[in-house]
Amino acid sequence: MTLHDRLRYAFTALRGARLRTGLMLLAMAIGVAAVVVLSALGEGARRYVIGEFSSLGTHLLIVLPGRNETTGGAPPLVSETPRDLSLDDAEALKRSRHVRLVAPINVGAATVSFGGRDRDGVIMGATHELYEVRHFKMGQGRFLPPGDVHHPQPVAVLGARLRRELFGSQPALGARIRIGDRRFHVIGVLQEQGQSLGMNTDDLAIIPVTAAQSLFNVTSLFRILVEAPAREAIEPARRHIIATLRARHDGEEDVTVITQESVLATFDRILGALTMTVAGIAAISLVVAGVLIMNVMLVAVAQRTAEIGLLKALGAPARVIQRLFLTEAALLSLLGAAIGLALGQAATLLLRQLYPALPFGAPLWAIAAAVLVALVTGLAFGVLPARRASRLDPVQALARR
Amino acid sequence: MIARDFIRLTVGSVIAQRLRSFLTALGIAIGITAVVLLTAIGEGIHRYVLNEFTQFGTNLVAVQPGRSTTMGASVGAFGNTRPLTLEDAAALKRLPRVVNVEPVIAGNALVEAGGRQRRTNVYGVGSAFPEVFNFSVAGGRFLPPDDPRAARAFAVLGSQLRRELFGDANPLGQTLRVGGDRYRIIGVMDSKGQVLGFDVDDTVYIPAAKALDLFARDGLMEIDVLYQAGANVDEIVEGVRRVLSARHGREDFTLVTQQQMLEVLGSVLDVLTFAVGALGGISLLVGGVGIFTIMTIAVRERTPEIGLLRALGARQGQVLALFLGEATVLAAIGGLGGLLLGLGIAWLLGVALPALPVHITWSYVASAELIAAAVGLVAGVWPARRAARLDPVEALRTE
Repeated sequence: MTLHDRLRYAFTALRGARLRTGLMLLAMAIGVAAVVVLSALGEGARRYVIGEFSSLGTHLLIVLPGRNETTGGAPPLVSETPRDLSLDDAEALKRSRHVRLVAPINVGAATVSFGGRDRDGVIMGATHELYEVRHFKMGQGRFLPPGDVHHPQPVAVLGARLRRELFGSQPALGARIRIGDRRFHVIGVLQEQGQSLGMNTDDLAIIPVTAAQSLFNVTSLFRILVEAPAREAIEPARRHIIATLRARHDGEEDVTVITQESVLATFDRILGALTMTVAGIAAISLVVAGVLIMNVMLVAVAQRTAEIGLLKALGAPARVIQRLFLTEAALLSLLGAAIGLALGQAATLLLRQLYPALPFGAPLWAIAAAVLVALVTGLAFGVLPARRASRLDPVQALARR
Repeated sequence: MIARDFIRLTVGSVIAQRLRSFLTALGIAIGITAVVLLTAIGEGIHRYVLNEFTQFGTNLVAVQPGRSTTMGASVGAFGNTRPLTLEDAAALKRLPRVVNVEPVIAGNALVEAGGRQRRTNVYGVGSAFPEVFNFSVAGGRFLPPDDPRAARAFAVLGSQLRRELFGDANPLGQTLRVGGDRYRIIGVMDSKGQVLGFDVDDTVYIPAAKALDLFARDGLMEIDVLYQAGANVDEIVEGVRRVLSARHGREDFTLVTQQQMLEVLGSVLDVLTFAVGALGGISLLVGGVGIFTIMTIAVRERTPEIGLLRALGARQGQVLALFLGEATVLAAIGGLGGLLLGLGIAWLLGVALPALPVHITWSYVASAELIAAAVGLVAGVWPARRAARLDPVEALRTE
């Protein structure tokens, strides 16, 4: 009996019981489609987050004041330190070929007012370098000008929504606004960006870093963003930052340096694990579908006793009969998986149409795993019925109607 | 047909095809096991997170400087034009039904004692800290209620910092340097572990006024207001808002009540648990397809039997009920098996991995069992109707 014969036999058997075959295919398809769609969702979320992080800048290192010695503890994200991370520290970091750009930052909350309107905004003190580090895009005007940070001009750049709320339809460029108790000229408006990792740049007002320090009466910087020129320069840049700041801080290492890569890797791990879990849960239904295939095959063996008896009487050895039934189970699983894949991909496409912002797409490993699990369960659960069929006694089988 | 006959006939046909029934029930059982286990884990995590929060007590209102929040934290903690002061805190304490107030400044500095150094968290707090946050003192006492303008230089150590600096030696009465200033150690706190990612054991507590000087700040990061149990939260919030608005001339602060936090968290976690359970429900759907398939096959096999029943005067409704009953019994048996299996694995998990919080919610368990029976009913309807509509004469002839 050739493979071709076996396949034809299996197809005929499956076509003979249409409803039953259809239901088994449906069961398999539900399982595979569930795995595909859920892993596509997880993968979409993962790619989205990684894309967001990458849009923050490339080859980024973040310097924060303070350091904890607890191993595995969280970095001091919201902390004051006795020794400031100063503007001069930031300046000093530039003197290395492993550092391309240095952008010191301050943040705080203050009231922004114009023409009798008050808005509470997030104020960011920054320098010209931040424009390049954060990949900002201007809607109108220009960003903070380059120049001596210690002699800031009273200029401000507004986020798109803050501008709308303060000015409505009036022109904003060149207007004089008040932030806290100081006056600033509006020289630019950022392009609308929306949420980006919990930081909404649309509500920001960006002013020179020194102006922010005197506005909030602080001397320390909140963060220093450092951009390395290339990926392989990140590690030397980290060493350079720590060495430089230690030398400037009387030999004390009192800063924490986080690399963008490590943050990315952490998120990647967490979201990857989540996707795996969700897909795994969906895969349980594949096992259920396998059990169903086994059950129906067993029923089929009982119903096709006469047929099996005839095959054996014609001299088909037990091995061939086993293979016949296994082929049938494998065909069922594969066809079911194919239908499930088609359904899953269609649903994924639909999701993409509905939420174009999220890059949904089932990862290859999930598709491969789903098909493989479907095939393996189909075959594994097909073994018992096949063995049962091959063990029938031909005389008995033929005698039974 | 009386109830006893009905039960005998349905259960009898389930038992007659033992292997087939077992496998059909197994499909449902796997689905139910998944639902029970997943919801148990989801619920366990839910409780764990809420416990983490409620260990601070639930009668808290947090006041943060500035009105803008990003990433769930107030930006005003980093810098603002109208700081929250120790005087603000003192004013809030005079409100009715406020038990205590607690100024907080979080920082990070080098701590030295007994020839050892360690970079660690420094919290500037008031004397009410243990009461407000449900912490307890292991030895000595906590910071005394000094006048903020003349706070004495006392310090209290977290349990891990004490171990790192002093080992087994008694730290009480020793001097400690924080950022160059000298403090006398007057107490050691009990171990509390990681609380929501903050390490409160690797910490030194100093008076808030001293921390303001140390970090050269003019404002607090947060004021926590503890109110009497049973007091109306809205009244407290209103009082805090009135007092601070009067002092600052405008509302330039953010109020967050612990109860709001808990409600938001609770609803998010509920959605999560439900979603995870629903994922497990996909396999129930497949199990339902299994029941449908097997029942269809059974109707076809038992056509003569149905014909005989009809010929003996069984009404269509009775035949329908028989097959529906059979499908439901199959599903219910599978559901019960799944429940036992799920509960067993959940119990095992609880024993083997005490770190993984598992909590069985009976409402979920009961609804899972009901869903299983419902799946059986729905999946059985079409085959049962087919059975009931058979023409008795035709059916008898099928032999």
